This record gives sequence, structure tokens and C-alpha cells, in this order.
Amino acid sequence: MKQIYKLKKTEFAYGENIALCVDEYSIGKNTVTALVGANGSGKSTLLNLLAFIISPTKGEIYFADEKVSSEKEKNLRRRIAYVQQRPYLFNFSVMQNMELGLKLRGIDKNVWAKRTGDVAEKLNLSALQHKRAHDLSGGEIQKVAIARALVLEPEVLILDEPFTHLDKEAKRDIETLINDMAESGEQTVIFSSHDQLQAQKLANQVCTLDKGQIKPCLLLNTFRGQLDTTNSIFRTEKSAIQIPSTVKSGTQIAIDPAHLVLSKEALKSSMRNHFLGKIKSLREEEGEIHVVVEAGESWQVIITKAALSELNINIGEQVWLSFKSSSVQIF
Amino acid sequence: MEYLIESVVSAIKLIFALNADVLIVVWTSIRISVIALILASLFSIPMGLLVALKSFRGKRLLVQTLSTLVALPTVVVGLLLYGILSRQGPLGELGLLYSPSAMVIGQCVLIIPVVWSLVISAVNGADPRLSETCKALGANSIQQGFLFFNEVRFAIMAALVMGFGRAIGEVGIAMMLGGNIEGFTRTMTTAIALETSKGEFEFALALGILLLLVAFIVNGLLQRFQYLNK
Repeated sequence: MKQIYKLKKTEFAYGENIALCVDEYSIGKNTVTALVGANGSGKSTLLNLLAFIISPTKGEIYFADEKVSSEKEKNLRRRIAYVQQRPYLFNFSVMQNMELGLKLRGIDKNVWAKRTGDVAEKLNLSALQHKRAHDLSGGEIQKVAIARALVLEPEVLILDEPFTHLDKEAKRDIETLINDMAESGEQTVIFSSHDQLQAQKLANQVCTLDKGQIKPCLLLNTFRGQLDTTNSIFRTEKSAIQIPSTVKSGTQIAIDPAHLVLSKEALKSSMRNHFLGKIKSLREEEGEIHVVVEAGESWQVIITKAALSELNINIGEQVWLSFKSSSVQIF
Repeated sequence: MEYLIESVVSAIKLIFALNADVLIVVWTSIRISVIALILASLFSIPMGLLVALKSFRGKRLLVQTLSTLVALPTVVVGLLLYGILSRQGPLGELGLLYSPSAMVIGQCVLIIPVVWSLVISAVNGADPRLSETCKALGANSIQQGFLFFNEVRFAIMAALVMGFGRAIGEVGIAMMLGGNIEGFTRTMTTAIALETSKGEFEFALALGILLLLVAFIVNGLLQRFQYLNK
């Protein structure tokens, strides 16, 4: 797969504080990449670097195989559209805001009406076109900012926490949009989210950030503890988890919620981890069932609706939770 | 107290009688100050945007200097320009001393630091997301300047009103560079000083009231502009 971005020993610091430190990371062309992590994990800093709003204090960034220098940044910005976490709209009408990027980038005026019309329709913004930007609600501002980026038809669309402030319907519109882009495979989309499950659902590639560093896996079912290499066990505060014998170091583990198996009886299988627990919560989200099981630690499990009806489980009931030692990622 | 009330009544009568001497003085004041404001703005607004949006060596010193010059005494500006424009001065040959042009130059020097530093403050006080948004949309430096101008236009208007107020209300420059020549360079402030010294208190008071009225109208126009552009 062709790469659109490549970061090499890239670092960004605010004065003495290193906000981001990436040894090596690539983003594939025409893919959807999600950056996940807690607040202050470095997501926005990384997006600002990828949008060429800020320059790295150390290291290099390559865009379409070309090394990015500060002289090139201005021109490269015009190939990217970036929507900030709290977007700023100018004191114009919605339509004028949508046209602004086209105007600034010198895009032929003949295409403005078609592009803005198409995007407004796609995001259900047609009724707001003549409204002043300062009279919009938080969710509407977010949608207009995304529309302003989309009309530019950029090579790369970068969205910083695009789902904040959005109501359920607007959230679905944006999710559909990202899904369509992922399916068409014609545009690179990079977005950040604190919702790891949502990121996993929408993106081809998920990049997890923790304290400014890229981690090799999703930070769900993440536990700190001590490694017992002699017995190939990782001991958390409340559980002892079997891990592959090849692992020799690490202080944290993470297990993908999709790799966890629920059953009413203890399973007889090659899986080496089995815990008996209680169901704390059941929640349906976009056709999937999110289950929280209290089994020593608190585990997040994703199952299908069919699996739920087959298992016939309810909140408070006992359930077995099993997974392979190879599903445990250690870092 | 009676004397003061009588003077105020006489002054109001003078204004409503549309006394030609009063009108000429008012017109000269407004004309000179407006021209000075336009010329100063043409320089100060772009420079304010430039200084605020660019990083360069000595920026802090420049901003500090401008802030200091905001409080520049008008007689000092008058004195310096008198030295430059007088017959023996480097620009004496131009024969500008005691002319409205000299007064315009003087008032420009006076209000440039005011408008310039207030524009810098206006841009610095703009929403911090604005700069990032301009960059993200692909704006070049000039486009960014225009976008900032649009977003902070109310603050810039207020800066212009401040500049106009400083120009129309000053005496030192008008007196030293204009010479207070009747019908030519006599402004409201120089006329007030002169008429008061002559004992023509009613006439001076009428001009004082008109000076306040001009300031009131200018501020009213600014508020109207802000209301219409909300």
C-alpha cells in the first residue's frame, strides 16, 4: 500500500514539555486512520503536525514520499483540509463560510455552487445556508466546519474529535460520511476520537496514543501489572493472565474486546485464560452489544445481537469469560 | 453661577444662529482631523496587522515603543515638527509651516501610534483559533490579514474613533504648526484657547459644546455600525 504520510523520529515540544514523540509511523494513502487516546495524549498535536499547522521540533515528516520543509508547508496545506476540535467559523453566512476555503485556494468559481450544494445536501445543511454562523448551535458549527473542509475535495481530510457536540442524527451523518469515504478508497481520512470502539468500527487503521507516544494496540481492557516470565503470567492487581511465553518485558497489557468469548459454562478449548464473572452492564450500539463483565478486573466485551439471544444472559448473571494468551498485547 | 448659565445660553444661541465664524472653525477642525485619520489609518492598520501576525526580532521592543508613544505630548510633536518644517529646518523649503498640511502631518504623527498599537491589541485579542483556521484553509499572509481585519473590525473601528478623538481634541500641534490663522488653520481647540484669553467666554463655550457634540456623533456612528454588522 502506498503511504501518504511517514513520520521518522518526529518530536514536538511545547517549551520543555515533549507533547509528542513518534519513532516511526506511516499512514496509508486512501485509508481511514483513527487516532485514539485520552485527553492530553497528543492526538491534537499529531493532527496539527499532519495538517502542517505546526512544524516538528525534531525529526522528519514525509508527505507523498517528499520530505516536508517549512517552505513547502504553505503549499501542502492547500492539499489538506483540517477541521479543528472546536472549529472557528467566520462572521459570515453558512454558505459564505463554506465558500471561503474555495476562494482562498483560488478554486474556479464555476464549481463553487455545485460543490457547496452537494455537500450541504449530504450533511443536511441546505436549510441553514443563509443563517449567520454566529447564530448556529455547537453541533451545527461542527457540521458547517466539516462541510467547509469537504467542499475543498482535499487529498487528505483531517478531523479532530469530529463527533463532539453532535447529536445522534448528526453523529450518524458524519459516521456515514467517513464510512463512504472508507469504502470508496479515494480519499485519505484521519480522525481523532476518545471512543476507541467507534474508532475501531470506522477506521482501517487505529493508532493509539498514550502520553505522546504511539502504542501498538487499542487501549481497551488495559491493565497495569507485573510480568512473571518464569510462568508466562501477567499479574494485575486483581487477576493473573496467561501470556505468550515469548514475552520478556512490559508493564501494561491490552486485550481487544472482540477477542473475548462469553459463555454460560466453562469452555474446554485451547484458550488459556478463563475467568468467572458477573455482567455489570449491557448496551446496544450500532447493531453491536457492548457487555461489561466484572471478573476480577472490569472487562469490555463486544458480541453480536444473535450471540446475546443465544447466550440468553442478563445483568447480574454469572458468565465465563475466555480468551487466548495470544490475544494479550504487552507493551 | 448665573454668569455660567448665561454663558451657556448665549453659546447655544450662537450655535443655533449658525454663526459663520463658528462653522468655519468647526469645519476646519473636522476636515484636518479626518484627513489625518485617513492617512494614519492607511499606514497603521496594515502595519498593525503585520506586526501582530508576524514574528520578528525586535517585535516586543517595537510594541513597547508604540505603547509609550500613545501618550506622546502634543506640544512635543508640535515642537519637533516645527523644527523640521520651519524655514531653517530640513523640510523648510516646502513652505508647509502654518498650513493645514502641516497640521495634518502633525496629527498623523500623533495618532499613528494610537491606531497602530490598538490594532495590534485587537489582533492579539482575537480568538486564538482564528490563526489556525486561516492556515488550515490555505490562506496566504495577505488573505490572513484581510480575514483578521474582518473579524476584529469592531475593535479597529474603536481604534479609529480613539485616534480621531485624540486628533480633534489636541491643541499643541494645531497651535504650533497651524499658527491659529483665522479662516485657514484655526480649529475648535485653538479658537477656544484664543477666545477664552480674549474674554469671549460664550464663543469659546459654544465651540466647546460643538467639540463634545462631534465626539458624541462619531461614537454614535460607531455604535450604529456595530449594531448593523452584528
